[in-house]
Amino acid sequence: MQFKNSGNNDSAPKCANVIIANLSKNSRYLFLSFCLLFSLISCGKKEKSKGDKITITFWHSFVASTIPALEDLIEQYETENPKVEIKAQYVPTGDALIQKLITAIQSKTAPDISWIHSDFLADLVDADAIYEMDHFIKGENGLSQSELEDIYPALLQYSSLRKKLYCIPMEATNLALIYNIDMVKEAGYQDGRAPSNWEELEKYAEQLSKDFNNDGKFDRIGFFLPIFPAAGPLSGWMVWQWIPYLWQAGGYIIAEDQSKVLYNSEAGVKALTLWKNIYDKLNLRTFTTDYDVSFASKLVAMAMDGPWNLPRFNRMLQNLNWSFAPLPKGPVKQATICGGEYLVIFKQSEHPDEAWSFVKWIIRPDIQARWSMKSGYLPVRRSASELPEFKAYLEENPNFKVFIDQMEFAQVQRSMDYGALQITRHMAEAIEEATLGGGDPKEALDKAAAKSNKVLQSYWKNAK
Amino acid sequence: MNIDFRKSGRITKDILLHILIYALALATIAPFIWMLLTSVKDIGDIFVYPPKWLPSKFHFENYRRAFQAAPFGRYYLNSLLVALTVTIGQLITCSMAAYAFARLQFKGREVLFYIFLGTMMIPYQVTMIPSFMVLYWLGWIDSYKAMIVPGLASAFGTFLLRQFFLTIPKELEEAAYIDGCGKFRVLWQIIIPLSKPALATLAIFTFMGTFNDFIWALIVVNSDHLRTVQLGLAIFRDRYITDWDLLMAGSVMATLPILIVFFFAQKYFIKGITLSGIKG
Amino acid sequence: MPSKNAGIGKTTVIRRDRNSKKNILPALGFLSPTLVIFCTFVLFPVFFSFYLSFHKWNMFSSGQEFIGLANYRRLFSDPEFWMVLKNTFIYTIGTVPLNMVISLLTAIILNRQIAGKRFLRTAIFTPVVISPVAAALIWRWIYDPNFGLLNYLMNLVGLPAVNWLNEPKAAMIALIIMGVWKTYGTNMVLFSAGLQGIPDHYYEAAEIDGAGWWSKFWNITMPMLTPTTFFIMIMSMISSFQVFDIVYVLTSGGPLGATKVMVFYIYENAFKFFEMGYASAVAYVFFAILAVLTVFQVKFMQTRAGYEAV
Repeated sequence: MQFKNSGNNDSAPKCANVIIANLSKNSRYLFLSFCLLFSLISCGKKEKSKGDKITITFWHSFVASTIPALEDLIEQYETENPKVEIKAQYVPTGDALIQKLITAIQSKTAPDISWIHSDFLADLVDADAIYEMDHFIKGENGLSQSELEDIYPALLQYSSLRKKLYCIPMEATNLALIYNIDMVKEAGYQDGRAPSNWEELEKYAEQLSKDFNNDGKFDRIGFFLPIFPAAGPLSGWMVWQWIPYLWQAGGYIIAEDQSKVLYNSEAGVKALTLWKNIYDKLNLRTFTTDYDVSFASKLVAMAMDGPWNLPRFNRMLQNLNWSFAPLPKGPVKQATICGGEYLVIFKQSEHPDEAWSFVKWIIRPDIQARWSMKSGYLPVRRSASELPEFKAYLEENPNFKVFIDQMEFAQVQRSMDYGALQITRHMAEAIEEATLGGGDPKEALDKAAAKSNKVLQSYWKNAK
Repeated sequence: MNIDFRKSGRITKDILLHILIYALALATIAPFIWMLLTSVKDIGDIFVYPPKWLPSKFHFENYRRAFQAAPFGRYYLNSLLVALTVTIGQLITCSMAAYAFARLQFKGREVLFYIFLGTMMIPYQVTMIPSFMVLYWLGWIDSYKAMIVPGLASAFGTFLLRQFFLTIPKELEEAAYIDGCGKFRVLWQIIIPLSKPALATLAIFTFMGTFNDFIWALIVVNSDHLRTVQLGLAIFRDRYITDWDLLMAGSVMATLPILIVFFFAQKYFIKGITLSGIKG
Repeated sequence: MPSKNAGIGKTTVIRRDRNSKKNILPALGFLSPTLVIFCTFVLFPVFFSFYLSFHKWNMFSSGQEFIGLANYRRLFSDPEFWMVLKNTFIYTIGTVPLNMVISLLTAIILNRQIAGKRFLRTAIFTPVVISPVAAALIWRWIYDPNFGLLNYLMNLVGLPAVNWLNEPKAAMIALIIMGVWKTYGTNMVLFSAGLQGIPDHYYEAAEIDGAGWWSKFWNITMPMLTPTTFFIMIMSMISSFQVFDIVYVLTSGGPLGATKVMVFYIYENAFKFFEMGYASAVAYVFFAILAVLTVFQVKFMQTRAGYEAV
């Protein structure tokens, strides 16, 4: 800014006039472009309900590679049900989904159907925001007993809270091992097969890690161990991948009566020790880059993943010789963890029965088969995998078959009606401490279990 | 560019300063350069080691793919509209309020100003849900109003302009008052023209802040035709996976326009020599 | 067009009496747009949050449960609260002075005759424009201990690799570096704008008197920059205290909670554990601390530079 040496006020208005005149010239253009912008916006197509069609809003977090499959699904439903329009809206997953649901419920603009995560199922139930699924299942347009039993029981167990069913699974997922076949062969395993048990996993992890330029640092990591900060957004993902190892060692997260946690048992210590050993041997300093891109860049020989990335991997990994394999077997049994996406129907919905019709249609075996083949997710009904076109698809897609086969021994966590979030956090802290923090697995687990048990005790005390 | 001729000792100092500032600028812009180059890489090329700057093959179609993943054309228009309106609105409201705080004497001035400052200290993470409730009670959810109106007043902008107004000597205004100018005219014809750098600065910050906003747009908007670019970019990041090539392309598209505007608008923060009234 | 003697506005009489200090009407006129919006969209939510801090609310339900001071009692006895407070202080002390020094120096250098000033300023402003998420993702790669750019460069010049984001102290330093990188462009622009307000003839007069560059800097530049410096210091402190986006993406509060800062803790309690009441209580204690610090800063600047400048 510069000050004018004026005691003379004539120059003030004169100068100002000049400024205003100049301003006008530029702002004229500004104003014009502004008007243009505004008119463009106002002419935008507004989405309103058309005529006497019923509109069902469906919130999801399917990423770009899955959207075509979703659009196909919706198109088919709308063709079969011309009076209904499904409006699918993408909501970024994780925190964004939570925030949107909160604000939607508070402002009475909740969707009819939405994906949810088990993190906040309890809160939704406590707030009386969603329907108990029995309301529909036992109704006129319900599900028969055999249909219910056709759904993988693990999925239904996960959809329940305090023994009542609140969601319907839309698709299933589980965890498998992805590996680079060439790197395995290079390490001496001529048949290019994946590690089949814990000992082999550790051995492979070591042998596949290479230090090419002898600078003391591995340039290729044999096995991507998913270690993330316990407080971060990936901490649940880390715990989710550790849990199958706990089960494979014969352990469980929590007692059946939910009175105390069991993850610090001997089984837990074994599972965490496995991870710690691999972490230390590989001198793993946590990957801050993503496992999928690292795998594509040949920086990682083995990793774990679910089926949702299959469409993406088929595109991304064309220069690699890769395959999925079942998770290595543990000392007690073979197990993997089962996940999926769950749908709820909101009580604020104006068309709950139509919403239910859509949900019920989604889990029809033939629809499940078709959805599964297009999206890479797993069907929720056993009978879907019996269908001939599905069987043919499995023949052509051995990677996908790995996941389907694993459904036979896929488990879900036991119900944690209270404190699920905190317990998961404690487990994450134990894992972080034993690996990143260099601590002792048993101590870390015991410390975490003490915290979890305290949480459980306070809940049970209040519940009385 | 005029280069003053100085004594030789100063030439060395000059060269050193040039080297220093160029090194710093280069280090600062390096991540952006990486972002630009990555946006045209193949995904398997991004995290190789040793790090590679240049792509082995240029994949310009990443931009096409990113643009087609969602209606980005519309998102851009929305972002622009909201950012422009909020910027202009803030320039108006903040200069008026800053003038009141800097020049007008009234009871409770200091207290009110400190309340303003105080509200900046509450993290928005706790006020965003209550703010949302206000919008809901007004019935403004899922509209342009919801994205624009709350941003029209700003404690930051008021504070910034107040500080600049304080540096303008009072004599100019006194002279104008003696001649019978009203307060508003003084503001409009004297203070504002002299405050161009501050106003330009506020304009850039407000425009950028609004353009880059994610959380507020996320919670007040549902319909697709109202979404902004930042919301659109979220589709390239899932919980566990990131579509790096597309995300970088999208981010470049979101960042480049503002940088270009900044490059050309700099002269508004930096005076020309001709504007100074006192020379020699 | 108004004549020389007529005034514009409603309260001609009162305005002529410029000795009246309780003159609130014109002030109200200028303040009203801001005040209306402010009270509706800022002040009310702030007070509502305060109200929430005495309740328990999981945000999905429509009602809140009143629990009095329980949230406040809980936070004072939670060791994690004190840890995040400490981390936040460390981060602020690490970034604010560094940030201000670098941005001031840069603004001064770029105020001289330098070739390519516009490009340089734009380059320095780039980090400010990149969205925090994109920036943090890129820096996460840069800091990757095995495959990242930084360790690669350090190896090239013979320095040992640092386990950046996985070692508590290194992680905080990494965060500070990224924090300064992201924000010093803003302060540079602000300082530049402030430097414009210093008339050249002050410097010219000083040179005639034989002053060297240090004397010019200390006796002309710094004092004239006081309102600007004050503004930048307050804003930098407030925003450093409230850092969140980059922490969330870069370190997620790790490793082992070493970079967990206050707003992360608040966010977590609100949106991960669904305890909005508790989060609000923490936010208010945090606000009180920040307010006290700001008051100290204001008093400090006022005694040093005089009341008028501040």
